[in-house]
Amino acid sequence: MAPHSPGTDQIDTLLWIGFVAAAILIVAVIGGLLYVLRRYHAERGAEPRQVTGGRGIQLRVSAALGAFTAVILVLSIVYTDKARETPATGAAGLQVSHSEPLKIATTGQQWLWRYDYPNDAFSYYKLVVPVDTAVELDLVTTDVVHTWDVPDLAPERDAVPGKTNHVVFSADEEGTYFGQASTLSGQAYAAMRTEVEVVSPEEYEAFIENQKKDIQAAQDRVVGLLENGETP
Amino acid sequence: MSAPAGRPELVIDGFPPHRRRWVEIATSADHKDLGRVLIAGAFGFLFIALVELLLMRLQLAIPENTFLTPVTFNRMLSLYGATAVFLFAIPLALGFFYYVAPLQIGARGTALPRLGQLGTWLFIAGGTILYSGFLFTPTEAGVNPLAPLSSIAFLPNNGVDAWAAATGLATLGFVLIAIDLVATLRRLRAPGMAWRRLPVFSWAAAICSWLLLVIGPVMLAAITMLLIDRNFDGIFFAGDAGGSPLLWQHLSWIFYTGTYMLVLIFALGAIAEIVPALARKPLFNRGAVIGSLAAIAVIGTLAWMQNMYSAPVGIGWMYFAMTMSLALIVPFGLIFFNLIATLRGGAVRMRAPLLFAAGAIAAISIGLASEVCHSMVAVGWRLQHTTDSTAATHFALVGGAVFGGFAALHWWFPKMTGRTMGETLARFSFWTMLLGILVAFVPLFLAGAEEGQVVDAYKFFGATGVDAYNLIATIGAFVLAAGILMTVVNAILSREGGAPAGHDAWGGDSLEWFALSPPEPHNFDVLPDVRSSRPLRDIREAIAHRSARAERPVGESQPVA
Repeated sequence: MAPHSPGTDQIDTLLWIGFVAAAILIVAVIGGLLYVLRRYHAERGAEPRQVTGGRGIQLRVSAALGAFTAVILVLSIVYTDKARETPATGAAGLQVSHSEPLKIATTGQQWLWRYDYPNDAFSYYKLVVPVDTAVELDLVTTDVVHTWDVPDLAPERDAVPGKTNHVVFSADEEGTYFGQASTLSGQAYAAMRTEVEVVSPEEYEAFIENQKKDIQAAQDRVVGLLENGETP
Repeated sequence: MSAPAGRPELVIDGFPPHRRRWVEIATSADHKDLGRVLIAGAFGFLFIALVELLLMRLQLAIPENTFLTPVTFNRMLSLYGATAVFLFAIPLALGFFYYVAPLQIGARGTALPRLGQLGTWLFIAGGTILYSGFLFTPTEAGVNPLAPLSSIAFLPNNGVDAWAAATGLATLGFVLIAIDLVATLRRLRAPGMAWRRLPVFSWAAAICSWLLLVIGPVMLAAITMLLIDRNFDGIFFAGDAGGSPLLWQHLSWIFYTGTYMLVLIFALGAIAEIVPALARKPLFNRGAVIGSLAAIAVIGTLAWMQNMYSAPVGIGWMYFAMTMSLALIVPFGLIFFNLIATLRGGAVRMRAPLLFAAGAIAAISIGLASEVCHSMVAVGWRLQHTTDSTAATHFALVGGAVFGGFAALHWWFPKMTGRTMGETLARFSFWTMLLGILVAFVPLFLAGAEEGQVVDAYKFFGATGVDAYNLIATIGAFVLAAGILMTVVNAILSREGGAPAGHDAWGGDSLEWFALSPPEPHNFDVLPDVRSSRPLRDIREAIAHRSARAERPVGESQPVA
């Protein structure tokens, strides 16, 4: 996996900071433990000195740990705030309107994602977005909690009944990115995947037109069938 | 032995008739019998949880496996979660607290024994109900059955109701035991056993009991709401009718996060008894360790929203949860520091309890360090709901409840049975378990962090780069289970066949080693005056002092002031 959006770039950096912090903590604890266990063995008849530590050393250790914590906390807030920023649409992107991201209503349902684009087009499973364009997904669900999770492009977000959650990203490269819903949502949960196809603005417009045409054709066919008294 | 002349003598006409052993245990309100029921029950359910874990790992051994159907997998997952948390980790911790803490404080029983008895058997009843679910349909709503998947609309069978009844009864039982422990620790301490002299494990018992008194009712309320929603048209968790699915998440995560802390406080409390005794040194700083345990209970539980970073919750709340989670570095770090400082300069005897304690510290530190990553909000957006979080949770909780629980088991087994657990099998078991936990869960760290493999899924797809990780993890899970079973077998064999242990098997400093092994029903005939936090060491010193004086040649003896 590799980050392909300004937000996930920030997440990736913070991820490495986290790995380093975790590694320091693990090495400190396990290293210290192994050292004392290898170094100090019981000798026959020897009674070790009954040493205890005073308040001073406890305060110093606490202060060191507290400083370590404070550094991680500050870094986390800095990078998380950057990761939350709505990215700006670049020159190569689709120019929707002034500084407004392209809004796509995203609906989770057992076990499929539906994407409703502006201009009445919609698609299932596959989301098509223009490259270098700020996109905002407004997440809702028709049934249970689903998590929209395409790790290369955006932070994971839950669609919860009765609420609207938001995902913002701006893909920096054309291509296909895969994601999988990541909150248990029933029997076919593991099969609830999604695919984000990042294309040029022209291809995006063409896709929307094509979808609209297909949808209109399907509707016309159903209406025609109904008018002829048949069941579609 | 005849009574000294002039003292009144009690005459009885024989003992009451001996009842059958199972009648004795089923009707006993003695904290030692109930503690053993809790511990034995916990290990029984651990066995079941392992079977479920292995079935799930088998399903996930190869991509797009069809060994289990999706429904069966979800049932295994749900039962595994409920069993590991409600039927293994909490009762194991409470079992040891309930057995050991009254002995450590020099009490002759508990304050409210019938309450503890009720609590213990409610836990057994809860476990029975959860598994009688097999007679109809077990729950398939997941480890934490999130609303609205757990609602009657999406799971209309009885499984979730059985889950709610089972976990509800067990939780009620834990709260009752906690009430008994709080009352006992407050009211029944021996003369001189001030709070400042209370052994660390008894402090852990007090902290965990108070914690359960806070989080237990929260979970009971949530479960009650769930039952009302499902059976009486309630709308507590219905998002479209004025309720909120997030309410369930808040309430249940308060409980689960508190439980996570409870398991770690139990493990660290036991380790803080084992390490000083087997290093023949006092704990480096008792106050710091006890204060840290209390801080973990408070701060850790306040971090419950750490599990809800992807939910529609305000960013300020996420930063609050992150601050609390990261703040845990200080108390946990302080405890690890004090344990290592205690070992430093000690005369360390590397017996089985210390081996398991060291394994527990290592596993817990790996799990908690990973949780540090997960609690950084933006990283949580990426790593939570991946197998990386599965691995982190398992390192911390298998480290705490299984490694830590086995350390406690090896440590207090001589007190409970009068026999020591076999050291050779213990060593085999330990190294197998250590290999197992690393091979089982390190690949899941990688699969989650590198490829974003999601949790709780009944299958994964090929060509996503996680095939090898999952196969290795499955093998590791079998190794881990084999290691765990070795210790269970060891415990069963050693009950009758272990080397006889003295009453003070390890040279411990706390009062439980003053009782017989196994202790009499009334625990103690007489109690020493407690004058420090190491009463048994005081007695040993007094004896050494007296015998040294007796051996001294006549004429050299000094008058005693």
